[in-house]
This record gives sequence, C-alpha cells and structure tokens, in this order.
Amino acid sequence: MLSIIAYTNTLSAAPGEQIEVKVGTYGARSYRADLRRIIQGDRNPEGPGYRDEAIKLDLGGTRPARRQDILPGSHVRIPDRGGVLAGLADFTLAMVVSPTLFGGDRTLFHLSGTSLELMLDDSGRPVATLGSHRSLLDHPLPLKTWRGLVLNYTAATGGFTLAVTDLGGAIIEEVNATASPGWNGSGAREAVIAAHGPGSQAFDGKIDSPALFGAALEPSETMTRMAQPDRLADDPELLAYWDFTQGIDGTEIRDASPHHLHGSTYQCPARAMTGWRWHDASLDWRWRPDLYSAIHFHSSDMTDAGWETDFNVTLPDDLRSGVYAVRLVPDGDEASAYFCVFAVRPSRSKPTGNTICFLLPTASYLAYANHRLGLDVPGTEVGMGRLVEIDRHHAFLQEHPELGYSFYEVHDDASGVFYSSRNRPVVDLQPGVKGFLGGLGSNVWQFNADTHITGWLEHEGFGYDVITDEDLHRDGLALLSRYKVVLTGTHPEYYSLPMLDAVQGFVDRGGRLMYLGGNGFYWRISFSDKHPGVIECRRSEAGIRPWEPGHGQFHHAFTGEYGGLWRRNGRSSGVLTGLVMSSQGFDVSEPYYLSSAAHDSRAAFIFEGIDATAGRAFGAYGLCGGGAAGLEIDRADDNLGTPAHALVLGSSRSHTDIYLMTPEDMLDPTPDMTGTQNTLIRADMVFFEVGDGGAVFSTGSIAWAGAMAWNNYDNEVARLTGNVLRRFATPTPFIDRIPV
Amino acid sequence: MARYQLTEADVAFAYEFLREPFGYRSPGLQRVLNVMRGLGPMGKYVIVCREPYRLWSLARLPEKRGEPITNIQDVTYTDLATAERDVFLRRWHDLGGPDIGASAGRP
Repeated sequence: MLSIIAYTNTLSAAPGEQIEVKVGTYGARSYRADLRRIIQGDRNPEGPGYRDEAIKLDLGGTRPARRQDILPGSHVRIPDRGGVLAGLADFTLAMVVSPTLFGGDRTLFHLSGTSLELMLDDSGRPVATLGSHRSLLDHPLPLKTWRGLVLNYTAATGGFTLAVTDLGGAIIEEVNATASPGWNGSGAREAVIAAHGPGSQAFDGKIDSPALFGAALEPSETMTRMAQPDRLADDPELLAYWDFTQGIDGTEIRDASPHHLHGSTYQCPARAMTGWRWHDASLDWRWRPDLYSAIHFHSSDMTDAGWETDFNVTLPDDLRSGVYAVRLVPDGDEASAYFCVFAVRPSRSKPTGNTICFLLPTASYLAYANHRLGLDVPGTEVGMGRLVEIDRHHAFLQEHPELGYSFYEVHDDASGVFYSSRNRPVVDLQPGVKGFLGGLGSNVWQFNADTHITGWLEHEGFGYDVITDEDLHRDGLALLSRYKVVLTGTHPEYYSLPMLDAVQGFVDRGGRLMYLGGNGFYWRISFSDKHPGVIECRRSEAGIRPWEPGHGQFHHAFTGEYGGLWRRNGRSSGVLTGLVMSSQGFDVSEPYYLSSAAHDSRAAFIFEGIDATAGRAFGAYGLCGGGAAGLEIDRADDNLGTPAHALVLGSSRSHTDIYLMTPEDMLDPTPDMTGTQNTLIRADMVFFEVGDGGAVFSTGSIAWAGAMAWNNYDNEVARLTGNVLRRFATPTPFIDRIPV
Repeated sequence: MARYQLTEADVAFAYEFLREPFGYRSPGLQRVLNVMRGLGPMGKYVIVCREPYRLWSLARLPEKRGEPITNIQDVTYTDLATAERDVFLRRWHDLGGPDIGASAGRP
C-alpha cells in the first residue's frame, strides 16, 4: 500500500520554471523530497534494470506529512446575489430528474445557510427537509426515467407540498406537510445542485435545468411553465432558471432570470447531455442546444482534488530536457517512495539543438490514469491469458476509489467516464509499477513501457528532448519544427485534433516520424482552456471500448467535436503512420517475419548490419510477451490510408486466439476472426517517404520497445531502431516516392 | 455470463493447461479458461506482488470498489507457472469439474 501520494500542477515544465507539489499522507508522518531523472522504470530482473539519477537540487529537507482530502462528486454551486436566496419567502422549486443510482441520501438541491434540502433517500424516495422537518413520499422514483419534482412553500402558513409528476404535469404522488416551527426559508447564502456540498451526498443521475419561483405554485401549473423554458425568463415570479443549455462547453451555469444568479460546476459533470425534452431532431448539441438541457452528475466524478501546495520546485536553468520525477520518501523508507512524474521540456524560446524529440504520450497516460481494468472488469484476465497481478498501487486504488477513474471505467451508476484529469494523484504514473496488460514478462504498461525507449536512448547516447502531448496540443508545429525526428511512445492512443494536425503537418513538411507503438492515433479527445488539465473522450460508434456514451451524446461538451475513433472522423491513422489498429491480446507476443521489401534499396539503411533474408523471424524475444509484435498491433491497409508506396518490411502472424478482430473491422462476426485464423490480425512494420523530404517508420506493436530492451539493448530490434533513428536525424531529405 | 459447464470431456484440457500454463491453447482449453477467468469480480483469485518478479501471494477481490483485497493465508508462489496451476485447480474444484487426481499436472 502507499503511505503517501501526491501530484504536481503540471506534467511539463521548462528549465527555470516552477512546479507546485501537492502532497497527502495516507499514514506517513514525514517525508523528504528529491529530484530524479527517470531513465528506465521497468524493474524486471530480466531487463536492463531500473535506473534513475539524482539531480543535485535542495528541495528543503524533511517535511511533516499532512492529510489532504479528496472529495469526489460533481455538483453546481450558486452564490447568492442581491439577497435573492437570503430573502426567500414563498417559493416553488422545480426540476426534472432521472436518477441512475440510489444508496444513502442523495441531494438534488440544497440551500446552505438555511435548512432546505430536496433529496432522494436510500431507496430513492423523494424527501424534502425544511428546517428540522423531513417529509418523504412513499414510493421511490424509477431509475433512468424522467420525472418532475416540485416543492412549494407558503411562508404565511409554513405549509409545503412535495410532488412527483409525469412529464405532462400530472401528479403521480404528493405529500403536504408543515415546516418546523420558526423556519421561514430566509438566510440562504448559496444554492447547491446535485450535492449537499463538496464530497457530501452527491447525486448520480441527470438533472434538467432547475427553476426557482418566488411564489407557491401548484405542481401541475409549475410543470406547465417548465415545459416552456423560452418563456420562463419573462415570468415575473421567476427567481432563477439555471439553464443548462447555456455555456455547455464551460464551467459556468447561467441563470436565465433577470437576477443573474450564475453559478459554476465542480468536478466536471457531463454536459451536452440529452434532456427530458430531447428527441432525435439533432444528434449535435451545437445545432440544438435546447435539446441538451440536462447535466449528468456522478458521485464519483473527480477532476480536481484541489489540494494545497506543500512546496515548489524551481527547475535549474541548465537542466536538460527529459523525464523527471519529484521523489517523496516517506519516513525515511526509500522502498516506499512516491514519484510525481513530469517532463522537463526544452526552453519555450530557445531550441536546445537536439534534433531528436521523444513525445511523451501524456494524454494517453491520463486516459488510463488510475485505471482499474484488473480490479473492476473480470474479462481482463481472459484478455491477459494469465492471472491478474496486484501491486501496491493497485491495492491502494482498490481501497481508494475517491481518486477518480480513467476512461476505462464506468461510474458507480454504470455510465461511462468521459473525463480524466491530471489535477489529482495519478498513482499508476510512477516508475516501477506493474500493469495489467503488459504481457508475460515485465508486465509494464504505458509510462513504464515507454521508459524502455528512454532507457535505450540513454544507453545509445542519443541527445534528445522530451515534450508532452499537452505541449504538442498547445505549441503544435512551432515546437515540432525544431526537430528532424519525433519518436512516439509505445501506446499513443489518444489524440486531440491540434495534436494530430501538428504531427501530420510535421511529416508533410519534411519531418520524420518513428511510431514505436501500437493502437496509436485511435481515439479523439478534447482539451479545453475552460477545463485546464482535463481531457474529454466520448467513445461513439466503434472501437474497443468499455462503454458507450448514450444515444445522442456523441459530441464532446468541451468542443462540440464528434467523439470516437479518428478512423470514423475521416482521419485514419493509416494516413499518418501507414497502419491501423488491428487487434489486441495481452498474453504472448510474436516475431515479425521479414518480407522481400526488406531487400528494397529504399530500406537498405534500415537493415544495415542485419540479416534481411525474406521469411526469417525477426524479434522473437522481448520483455513484453516474448516477442517484438504483440499486446496491441496494427496492420497496413490500403483501404484505410496506407500509402501505396509504403514498404511492408515484415509482418507477424498466427497470434494466439486471445487476439480478436476489432469491432470496427468485425462488421459481420464469424468464428474465424481470431489470431490463429485471420490474416488481418498481424503487426506490420512499414516505412515510407512523405513529400518534401519526410519519412515514416512504424512498428505497429506495443511490444516493440520491450524487445528493444531485451539483452540490455543488445539485439536486432534495438539495432534496427537505431539505424532508422540515425538516418531520420540527418538533414538529408528522403526522396519523394509518392506516385504522380 | 459464461454458459459453458465443465464436464468429463474437459479433463484432457485440464491436463493440457497443467502441462503448459502459458501460450497457445486448443479451442477446448480456451473455452475452459474463458469460464474460469471470466469469474468475478467478487471472490476472483488474483496474485499480489510481495517482492517484484520474485514472490506472489494468493488473494481474492472484493465485491465493491473501496473494499480491501483479501489475502489467503500462507499461499505464496515463487514463480508464475505454479500460481497458474494452483489457481486452475482451485477453480476447477469450485466449478464442479470432475476429479482429475490430486497431483495431476503439478510440477
């Protein structure tokens, strides 16, 4: 288990810049910090060995460790303005709700400063609390069904009515009661929607644009008004109408009434969600925002832990670019150290002179952040072909779901996780941790698998810079144009449009891309300046995915982009890398078998010093499944963008039957779509030139880097990779082979 | 979710697994493994890393997020193949598989 966890305010900083470190104890009494350069994070004794280097920098000695809470649960908070809430007398509160999970009290609406609360009890029965008096209905609301909820109050008598209606306003059930003596509704400071407060009684389900009226209205009459939201702003009795169709891409909640009781969302609830008046006139909220009047709140939403900073680290001006970590050693126990990983990117204003760039796939790290595939999903073991291994960070995650989920989980109500964030501890983004899907051998995934590449770069003595996906998203081609060659990580799966455009623009303008992974450039994600550090992904239509976003909810709230596969968005990875995702299996990997194209003179530099005999096995070893081709594999496909002049240098074949075709390829399922039977299930190694002197080399395999690291980087896979990198890093342009 | 039930016809597949716990499987063995490995999450067998790449212990997953993983006392392994064989036999027994002999296939 982990006795201390932490996170930083960024995953990328330049020399001279400052990083904020936020630390929370889970048992540690004190800690000391130091700065490490991470070279190779895989601890497999059959590998090249774990390696980091201490950086001489005083980070301040031993500090006391303190507890910092993590309070999940998305909600809306609305501060009072002009005494509208404080002066509440007669009122009617109305909303249309569709709960998705019961259990304990779940608050729909709360006025802090006065004891007014509308909620659902443990079994889903509506409850109204006015003062110390609590009234509830006899029957629970149905799950995943829209119902009107109306609470009215008459100050003169203290009487109130709580009613459930159907969508036509007909009363299904109601209760009449009297507020506790002396309670009059006044004195409220803040309204809270979907929680009692941060981390308290958070609601799971959809709420559609609540309204507050300054009169005690009949429930049916109230619902008639709610059905005409365009007229609400003109209603003289309206105190507030929190119109969830406005500002969908941001965190602001707009009050459409003249009182302007605007509020904000917290912990990133799902917006752009179909409301109670939704119909299929449009599937895009940008065209019909009026149909997207709901927000889906989750008690497990967590995009900003909000921890205070414990100390700052100012990076030395001469610190070379690379992968680093602030290491926290709790109570003097180095074996229990926690690592806050980040990239030291090159200076923002001055190139380092390195021509090689390693693109750290931090967007994909966030997509998998704190993932629980081996904990929550029984089928993970089927795909692994072996027992699930639990290391201490997995055990910690199991006991601390408040850290929030990844794109691979569903929320507690079984709806998909659309948002992942770096504004929280990400305990699997540390060197030395094991994965679930890394195959027989090292069983490392994402970050630690990528350190097989950084370890090799260091071992070979290449000078290189490291940038992150977020750097790429923000700085684009201006940053990439400093380099001759960009190396990807092992699994650069999640890409925003600016990221994809930048890499494509780079190779189109003479840049060289080494795609050293599998299942890359697959899912579309969005960043947003309104949600710093958070990414959104809606897995519409096809793709290997643990959930669907729900009909009509395929467009991202952050940007309006149609979510899902880049392949479904007209940007197949075949165009950029020459390869498309073909299959996955997490047991054993295979070698490539070289093709006659390995003898093509265009590929001579690739196979310099390597036996390129057609048909021979290449890379029948490795730390990730025992072969260079495996885990997630990509194939060349003329129909999906692979250039006609691409050389397919080698291909794997006959993977185990754990490898199946992808849903996007499995249009008509038949029993022959498995690894031993179907020729589409293979990794292809390709090379092709791109106009204006550029070139692409792609391996189509997550396991490739694990083979590079085999035998302490002394093997043909590493040698071939080095051949490509040395040539790609030279200024000599490649000759355009594109047919005219 | 699994529909398949272990029968006498699966004994040969059990021996196939116990001979070699990793890699390629016959379709019959894959079907047996799909049943076993799809179990859970409540009570699912997992192995906990005690010393990285050297020592594992047997444990079971809880039903819900937030609950601790339960260690099974005094069951440890120093190699993954032994762990796979042991858990296979436990699951074979739990799923009502026919008798395949107490020492079948153990290394």
